[in-house]
Amino acid sequence: MYSPESNGQRFQLVCVIVSFGLGSKALSIARKSGMSGGTIMLGRGTVTNRWLRLLELTDVRKEVVLMVGEESVTKRAVDAIDHHLHFSKPNHGIAFTTPIGSVIGRGGEEYESSVGDGGNVSVYKAVFVIVDKGRGETVMDVAREAGARGGTIINARGSGIHETATFLNMEIEPEKEIVLMLIATPKAEGIINAIRDELKIDQPGNGILFVQDVDETYGLLNG
Amino acid sequence: MNILLELVKENVKAVLPIALIVLFLNFTVVPLGLPLILRFLTGAVLIIIGLSLFLVGVEVGITPMGSLTGTSLVKTNRLSLVLLGGLVLGFFLSVAEPGLMVLANQVDFVTLGAISSTMLLVVVSVGLAIMVALGFLRVFFNVPLKIFLLICYIIVFILAFFTQPEFLAIAFDASGATTGILAVPVLLALAVGISRLRKDSKASEEDSFGLVAIASAGAIMAVMVLNIVIGTQEYAVASLEPIQVGRGEILRPFLDFIVGAVSESFVSLLPLVVALFVLQRLLFKLDHKPFARLVKGFFYAFIGMIVFFVGVDGGFMEISAELGLRLASMDNKLWLLLTSFVIGFFTILAEPAVFVLTHQIEDVTSGYVKRRAVGGALSIGVGLAVAFATIRILVPSLQLWHILLPGYIIAISMMYFVPTLFVGIAFDAGGVATGPMTATFILAFVQGAASAFPGANLLRDGFGMIALVAMAPILTLQILGFIFQRRSQKQGVDSDVQS
Repeated sequence: MYSPESNGQRFQLVCVIVSFGLGSKALSIARKSGMSGGTIMLGRGTVTNRWLRLLELTDVRKEVVLMVGEESVTKRAVDAIDHHLHFSKPNHGIAFTTPIGSVIGRGGEEYESSVGDGGNVSVYKAVFVIVDKGRGETVMDVAREAGARGGTIINARGSGIHETATFLNMEIEPEKEIVLMLIATPKAEGIINAIRDELKIDQPGNGILFVQDVDETYGLLNG
Repeated sequence: MNILLELVKENVKAVLPIALIVLFLNFTVVPLGLPLILRFLTGAVLIIIGLSLFLVGVEVGITPMGSLTGTSLVKTNRLSLVLLGGLVLGFFLSVAEPGLMVLANQVDFVTLGAISSTMLLVVVSVGLAIMVALGFLRVFFNVPLKIFLLICYIIVFILAFFTQPEFLAIAFDASGATTGILAVPVLLALAVGISRLRKDSKASEEDSFGLVAIASAGAIMAVMVLNIVIGTQEYAVASLEPIQVGRGEILRPFLDFIVGAVSESFVSLLPLVVALFVLQRLLFKLDHKPFARLVKGFFYAFIGMIVFFVGVDGGFMEISAELGLRLASMDNKLWLLLTSFVIGFFTILAEPAVFVLTHQIEDVTSGYVKRRAVGGALSIGVGLAVAFATIRILVPSLQLWHILLPGYIIAISMMYFVPTLFVGIAFDAGGVATGPMTATFILAFVQGAASAFPGANLLRDGFGMIALVAMAPILTLQILGFIFQRRSQKQGVDSDVQS
């Protein structure tokens, strides 16, 4: 697994939530600031106004942008997004970053086996695998064979360094699937390796995988 | 920003270009007079309001109901029930479609009662219902959409060979009319609801489209079969009168249309509302709150439809007929051709079903296929189609099938180079494009232009236009799919790594 501090840089997951239609814009701003790519999924926002609720005018479509990068780059990217999309004003969107344990598949990284970042080793890991549309099911099958209990597939679109096509000034972001699995730490290594081998994540253009430590879980049966 | 404001903004963007073009023409080439312009602008405002309310209704009520129906039907796991659901829903959707009713009455009138409006209505609806049920079956038995569509169109071509020209035109027009303002959202949502349960995510996405196309093929076949059954006859064909342009009055015409609009909207929504309550009792069993939400959605759709129809009928019809007539009477025909392209290009964006389709595409593909891209391809397609329709008026020797036959052959051969997702989207878009805006605003323009020439047959030219508008988007959207496929390929990666 890619060590979090191998070159003095920690990896971060950036999560940006904006109104529908601004996701691609946020992604392209981030790219200009040095991020290699990102994944966008659709969401729905909520409305608290009582009248609007009565009139059922509550559906607000949102886009959630997920990006992974080194700490210095993510800082710059989030600042740029914040600046260009005016996050300081109300209702313009939110962004936050969370630390990542390890990343595979960002191109050319060497595998290093060092799970956890010292000190408190968490009991569970959240494993995110982002692959091309249609391969999420394969990821799940491989993971299940290697001992995972289950997972969730989320539809998304996105682009990495190999997908930078535009058409008439419009970015084309191919469809992706995000597989989210919660895995007990002792099993994590084996499952992640199985996915890497089967989907050849280490080779460029085959998706990315990253792992976050999880503090508390509910509803997971022991396994 | 809430959904209503967002929709109003979208629709202002969709209607504003049409308004600007008409104003521009008014101040430059064809002065239309203040009363007509004021009526037009009032109509535009009503269309924006009506469209926004209607689309809120689609979003809150009609689409959720459609996909819920699809999902619940599949979950019963009984093929007979799914088929029955498809048949019943398909029939009532089509029978209640306002566009089809207008067409049936017109056909009744021009054939002097030889083809009664009830007969046409029932035949088309039965055809559509059967094909919707078969479309459901297709998803179950995993028949590829390309093959299914190919078979449909081969049958259409064979039937066309035995069909007399009048019926050919009626057949294509009926298919355009029946997939109108209500049927499209419901059919799209049904398809999504049914395909959503598939485990294979790619197939699920691809199966979300294509049902509208299959349904419209059903309508075409039904009319052709009707013709073959009753045999070729000579019909005394009455001609349509050109649309009368009233002057001087601004608000009166809108009031005149209110009663019609209310009853039209009521009749077309009624079967759906009945279906909603029946399905709620039998299948959905929703809690009070989500069910109330669906009902409120239908109420929005009802009000929206009334305002929209009043706006279109009262404000847009006459001015566009007048515009067509005046431009066609000018010596320089370039203005006419240019205007027909531009009118087609922009009007299609204000078509209610187009918004529903593009929205659905964005949802199903998580935003990969963007609304702007689909809208652009549709605009170019419909623009060209309307331009070709006016060329047909100018060059009477150009037959409809001279354009349709090669067009469909290209469209069908393109299926094999284009991702399945886009094949479904493209063929669906063909049905979607021929909604109430096309059937009123563009049709009136083309008929207006035709009435400038003595010898032109209003009926024939009108029919041709709708068939062309139904075909062109199939071509342009498949081209778009081809481009998307090419541009989505990864750069700098060995392709053999991708398995």
